[in-house]
Amino acid sequence: MTIVDKMPRLISPLVLALIGLILFGDGAYIHAKAWLAQVLLERAFDRSIATGQAVKPWSWADTWPVARIEVKRIGASVIVLEGASGQALAFGPGHIHQTADAGERGIAVYAAHRDTHFRFLQHVAIGDIIDVTRRDGRHFSYRADSSAVVRFDASGIDATTQGFELVLATCWPFDAVTSGPERYILHATLVGADR
Amino acid sequence: MDTYDTADGDEHPVLGRLIKLGLFLLAQGVAVMLVAFVALLVRFGTAWSATAEHASLLQPGEARSGSLLLKEDGAYTEAVRLGTDIEITVSGPTLRARVTQLFRNPTKDWVAATYVYPLAANGAVDTLKMVVGDHVIVGDIKERQQARVIYEQARSAGQKAALTEQERPNIFTNSVANIGPGETVLVQIEYQEPVHQTGDEYSLRVPLVVAPRYNPAPIVQSVDFRKDGSGWGAATSDPVPDRDRISPPVLDPARHAPVNPTSITVRLKAGFALGEVRSHHHNVKVESPDDTTRIVTLADGAFAADRDFELTWKPAAGMAPSVGLFREHVGDSDYLLAFVTPPGVEQATQKPLPREVVFVIDNSGSMGGTSIVQAKASLLYALGRLQPNDRFNVIRFDDTMDVLFPASVPADAAHVGEATSFVSDLQARGGTEMVPAMRAALADKISDSSMVRQVVFLTDGAIGNEQQLFEAITAMRGRSRVFMVGIGSAPNTHLMTRAAELGRGAFTHIGSVEQVEERMRGLFAKLENPAVTGLTARFSDAKADITPAIIPDVYRDEPLVLAARLDKLAGSLEIKGRVGDRPWSVTLPLQSAAEGMGLSKLWAKRKIGDAEVARAMREMTPEESDKAILALALDHQIVTRLTSLVAVDRTPSRPEGEPLKLSDLPINLPAGWDFEKVFGERPHLTPTQLRERHADARNQPSARQPKPAAPDTIRLPKTATSAELKMIAGLILIVLALILFVFNRRRRLLADAA
Repeated sequence: MTIVDKMPRLISPLVLALIGLILFGDGAYIHAKAWLAQVLLERAFDRSIATGQAVKPWSWADTWPVARIEVKRIGASVIVLEGASGQALAFGPGHIHQTADAGERGIAVYAAHRDTHFRFLQHVAIGDIIDVTRRDGRHFSYRADSSAVVRFDASGIDATTQGFELVLATCWPFDAVTSGPERYILHATLVGADR
Repeated sequence: MDTYDTADGDEHPVLGRLIKLGLFLLAQGVAVMLVAFVALLVRFGTAWSATAEHASLLQPGEARSGSLLLKEDGAYTEAVRLGTDIEITVSGPTLRARVTQLFRNPTKDWVAATYVYPLAANGAVDTLKMVVGDHVIVGDIKERQQARVIYEQARSAGQKAALTEQERPNIFTNSVANIGPGETVLVQIEYQEPVHQTGDEYSLRVPLVVAPRYNPAPIVQSVDFRKDGSGWGAATSDPVPDRDRISPPVLDPARHAPVNPTSITVRLKAGFALGEVRSHHHNVKVESPDDTTRIVTLADGAFAADRDFELTWKPAAGMAPSVGLFREHVGDSDYLLAFVTPPGVEQATQKPLPREVVFVIDNSGSMGGTSIVQAKASLLYALGRLQPNDRFNVIRFDDTMDVLFPASVPADAAHVGEATSFVSDLQARGGTEMVPAMRAALADKISDSSMVRQVVFLTDGAIGNEQQLFEAITAMRGRSRVFMVGIGSAPNTHLMTRAAELGRGAFTHIGSVEQVEERMRGLFAKLENPAVTGLTARFSDAKADITPAIIPDVYRDEPLVLAARLDKLAGSLEIKGRVGDRPWSVTLPLQSAAEGMGLSKLWAKRKIGDAEVARAMREMTPEESDKAILALALDHQIVTRLTSLVAVDRTPSRPEGEPLKLSDLPINLPAGWDFEKVFGERPHLTPTQLRERHADARNQPSARQPKPAAPDTIRLPKTATSAELKMIAGLILIVLALILFVFNRRRRLLADAA
């Protein structure tokens, strides 16, 4: 029995293992990117608050951090980016363009991936306080008051509302592995603001 | 035959093999992770630079049929790219512009491209050149249909061809056929235009983008009854029959980088020592080779064509010359261009007549963004300028409209306060149904002849049914005078000037919030001071064909501009009129006229304008005016509604059998516009559904409030990654591999044992 004889039998499991590892690595890479980006974003956001300027997290980025969302009860904290393009969402939650800024009259909508940055959303309960720190250092507290599951194209979010409101949106259900048309939205209303 | 396999077998064969395999897989796993991380860095780079290529994305619904759209990443990529270079030479009273458009085809197909672009409304386009490789093909002026046929024949024969057509007096299209794969074709047009003058300020304006027009739905037929009272008439069904030709795809600036890089150079030879030279909307670099010459270039190089270029200049010291006279000899005729600024009458000597002013403000979606801010600021300024003995009213319109007071009211503090809060609450949304608003403004309900009646109309003019508006003004103007205030970065100048001309008023343009006060002060000087009326012009010796045929009234600080064709350059020109109630006249000896350039074209262009006006006023039948226009256009080689320039390269270039793809080049949204407001909410109302609501604060306060928008819900992005899926699939494959491996081992061991 020679090595040459054994090769065909070795090759098929090896190829299979290689493909498996590449797939696994690709999936892990999405998480690694999401995690690494948040570290860089955290630094950029702190500098934004200090300088009052929009600071790009890395030189070739076409987006920049605009706010930090925290839910202290469950110890969650993420940095939100301007815009909700697929590229921005890979790095952090995105602020949807045509919606208001946090703390302004109107509705601020932030969206993120259910399996990375907004995974914590499933643990947020009605009544929890959601803290938003804006790029200019101003700080707003929202209280979660309702949640709903909607279709992506019929969100029912009224962009012309006269109140001070916040919506965090992500895909639904949380534990699904394929993407679908349903979205989970958590609605909150402003309860306090301070510097 | 003695392999290490059997040597291993002496100790722990299975275990040893498993350890080896495990190590191998681990090493491979580390390698894959390394590759993944390298890929991470590479993909960061490429992913971001890829956004620059997305510049050309557009939605299929916005392109016309026949567009070349390549599907890529779920969005569509427009193939042909374009760059524009504009070179302007100002010589005294006229300017000549050369616009070079570069069409580049980066695809592997043969394409034909169409580009819609604006030009100055009173510019005469007379030259078309196409540059392919190293040879230049000069275009000929032809009747429009004939030019089309020539172009289409060349196109199907595989010859390179270029066609310049006029869609509106200020909107043109260039079509270029048979651009080969990887090829670049230059298309160059040239036009002649008079320099604009107000007070001591001279200006030129280069429109650079066609603002999206609101084209009313063709649901209601408008009926034209014959004038002879026979009761017969014709129904015209579509208010904008050529809507397709003036609606190129528009890019959403939030999603795409701007396209159509444009560079501008202006050689300014004013003919007098220059003072301030200023560009209002672009950063420029100004060089001064001598006192009377300036060279103006863009400071930041090429920019995206999304706003008009405006340049103004003033003489070095004191007032601008109040008279200018220029001549040109073409063929066997002399052409003359005269500028005369009548003297202003001091306010003290003239008791101002009380006025009735109707303000009309456009709050349609196209005014969204900075335009509505400028319009509101202008209107609030105007309300503040009203005198207590004036009367006024305010009308706002989109595809609905509100008239603030049932009839004009005295401009006392209470009424002005009410109007101020009404204007402050306006928001930009909806379509642009301008005609009903103009009709309401012209409806003279008080008919008090002791008052001067003025309509001040604030709009960007972004409509496609200009002709209907002109007809409304002509039919209903009565004793009212219409003053147009053009708002925004790319207003429809043709609509503004023609409407002001038909309404015997004036036109002013406001391009930024900073200009509001200065320009509105100028407008009020015109509103509050008596116009120079009853103007006539007469040549002592020469036989002359003067245009404009009926000289319009001239407002304060505006020059009277006359063009004429003369049989001989002799004698003098006498202009007479009345300033307020005092007679005024001036005599200009023709011998002192200076040499000018392209005056014959300006004369012809102005004559064509006269014919169009006469047609709108029903003084000429459409057939008569078309005939006059065609003769002038062919004589003077000008592109008009009825004539086009066409250039054909006789050597065929596209091989027979190769298909030709069509491509409509997208344009930018004008700066300061709000894409959502223009394209986000399509107008749902048709003209039949228009309601005229006479809002009155006492009993209908709700009608005063802007309507809440239909809740346009927000689309949520896709927020799930494939990470989990990939990781699970990957794990399954690894486990499968292990099982297969162990299974193979087992079988081999069993075989060995046997």
